[in-house]
Amino acid sequence: MTTAASATAPGATVAETEALHSRYLQAQPMWKIVLGQFAEHRMAVAGLCVIVFFLAVALFAPLISAVTGLDPDRQNVLNRFQPLGSWVDASSYERELRVERFLRAGNREALEAHLHGLNLWEIEAAREDLLYELVIHYPPTELRALLESLAAPDHLAQDLAEFQRVVGGFLSFHLFGTDQLGRDVFIRLVYGTRVSITVGLLVAIIAGLIGLVVGSLSGYYGGRIDAVLMRITDALLALPILVVLIVVSAIDMNKVLGGTPLAFIVDHQYESVIKMVIILCVFSWMQAARLVRGSILSIKEQEFVLAARVLGARDRTIIGAHIVPNVIAPLLVAVTLGIGNAILFEAALSFLGLGIQPPTASWGNMLNNAQEMVQHAPMLAVLPGLLILFTVISFNYMGDGLRDAIDPKGIRR
Amino acid sequence: MTAFILRRLLQTVVVIALLSFFCYYLMTLMPGDPVDEMIAANPDITSADAERLRQLHGLDQPAHVRYWNWASMVLSGDLGYSRTYRVPVSEILGRSLFNTFVLAGAALLFSLLIAIPLGVWAALKKNSRADYLINLFAFAGISVPSFWIAIVLILLFSVYLPLFPAGGTSGIAFGMTPWESFTDRVHHLVLPVLSLSFLSIGTYVRYTRAAMIEAMEHDYIRTARAKGLSWNRILIMHGFRNALIPLITITALSFSTLFSGAIITETVFAYEGVGRLVFQSIQSNDFNVAMVAFMISVSMVLLMNLAADLLYGVADPRITYS
Repeated sequence: MTTAASATAPGATVAETEALHSRYLQAQPMWKIVLGQFAEHRMAVAGLCVIVFFLAVALFAPLISAVTGLDPDRQNVLNRFQPLGSWVDASSYERELRVERFLRAGNREALEAHLHGLNLWEIEAAREDLLYELVIHYPPTELRALLESLAAPDHLAQDLAEFQRVVGGFLSFHLFGTDQLGRDVFIRLVYGTRVSITVGLLVAIIAGLIGLVVGSLSGYYGGRIDAVLMRITDALLALPILVVLIVVSAIDMNKVLGGTPLAFIVDHQYESVIKMVIILCVFSWMQAARLVRGSILSIKEQEFVLAARVLGARDRTIIGAHIVPNVIAPLLVAVTLGIGNAILFEAALSFLGLGIQPPTASWGNMLNNAQEMVQHAPMLAVLPGLLILFTVISFNYMGDGLRDAIDPKGIRR
Repeated sequence: MTAFILRRLLQTVVVIALLSFFCYYLMTLMPGDPVDEMIAANPDITSADAERLRQLHGLDQPAHVRYWNWASMVLSGDLGYSRTYRVPVSEILGRSLFNTFVLAGAALLFSLLIAIPLGVWAALKKNSRADYLINLFAFAGISVPSFWIAIVLILLFSVYLPLFPAGGTSGIAFGMTPWESFTDRVHHLVLPVLSLSFLSIGTYVRYTRAAMIEAMEHDYIRTARAKGLSWNRILIMHGFRNALIPLITITALSFSTLFSGAIITETVFAYEGVGRLVFQSIQSNDFNVAMVAFMISVSMVLLMNLAADLLYGVADPRITYS
């Protein structure tokens, strides 16, 4: 263990040493000490950076989608399993859709008539069908070249330029290739980040709160309440959790919630996400509860609590001023570690097809049928798993760093 | 000691009974019932027939009555009939239970063999580069999704380098000598065991390291060195022996993780074990199989917890159960 004396570097001057000592001897608020300790754990800081990055991705997913023009649900069946970094033509359905949008956006009759009058096309079509026929008949690159070679009269130049832009947009870039339905893997991973991290955070926080309530009741009041709550906790802890989760995930929410005021959950667009959060919460509060109970039991017996009671402090004061602050720190660690676990469980259940249901993307359900396609498209199986690994390992390192940082025995000063 | 074991056994039995009701109730909440499956398989069944079938199988009765019927049937030794496999449950169960034991046992042994030396080494070389690397490996172990590591192993060792089969429990057994069929089994076990061990290695390394660091800081280690004992003797008899207690706890408790984890591993590798049986029977509404397999998984875990408690006494003479 490093003491103040040995913290001084061997080559330091007297002034430096004194400055260091006066800094250590100054009273510091708890959070500053914790922050300083945390910053020393290099992997924990790296983990924090990764987490901040993924949180940003999750938060700005719609922005990323708007900027890149990619849509997580847009299918393109003719271009399935494209390799990494490939350029792909939009599906004919998508092309027609965009031409329709282009035609609706303004009065394009003059442009249509002008193009129809040209003796340039390989196809015959009525004036109002011409643009549709063009985008279906010609491959996007060829059509773009044809359009660029046109010299339009001045009053049509703007319309033509807009049409060229629409045709130019038919070609899209897929950084991570496309999946079994021709959807862009990159943007699905981005939206999957959103779902997986949301589930992880919600589950860990709610489970932490449940644990706080159960553990406090149990630890502070003891007696019969303690016995009942702890038997339930022990029984749940003893279960092979994945087996139980599979059984519970398979239940039909309609049979449980149908006719109750909570029935709206069943009809919700994100039914499976809400279901997942609820189920994981029910089975992950036990660790937090035991931790809180343990800390309360040990704090309750300490002299400062007795002193407060002798001074006439009420239960509320003792709990609020003495017990809660001593319980929050370990709870924070448990919650941080819980996020990683929740993400792993969500991924495992979604992988088995019992968790988040498509078309909503999550890292787990992107791997759902990756196994059968491991030969065609190995990257489909590798990428989502790598993201899970990075995220969970970051949360675990961060939890480890926090635990070291708040441990009063480990404080180095 | 006997009284303690009896009391704990009694508690365990009560918990198992409660859980079996809980699980049975959950199964009634799953979408569809066996008659729906029969209708799907045979379009000639009319709704009146379906009603009669429901009555015949007692499916029209409330959950607790059905549970009582099921429980008395199981307690009298009849585990029921599997609708998907069309054989009595006891027939499929024995084989898959054995397979899961082989898988989980091999994974446990393998992970302990790898993890204990790594953990002890990391503890002795605390804060060295080797320690950081081992720590990183352990963190990766506890953070990696088990199904993903299984897929990656398949990708590496059966697609790119076709060394091991991508799935299954054994090859076609016809015409094999006992030795050949044994090596065939082992060959099929390699990838599942590797993927199942990954997580437990991470856990064991972390616990071994922490326990060993704590044990080696005690005064009796210094005393033993002052007495002139050999370093190996100190390490094994004084250090490791005292690091064993938390290790036994975590090993026994992690048996449940192995059993749970086996569901995923067995599903990915199409390995015929209890885990895959639970998953498949739940998916196909095969209540009898699902219930029995679930109860076996739960009982295994609870018994392991009991075994852990008893083993403390062996590792640490200070603990008694009187």
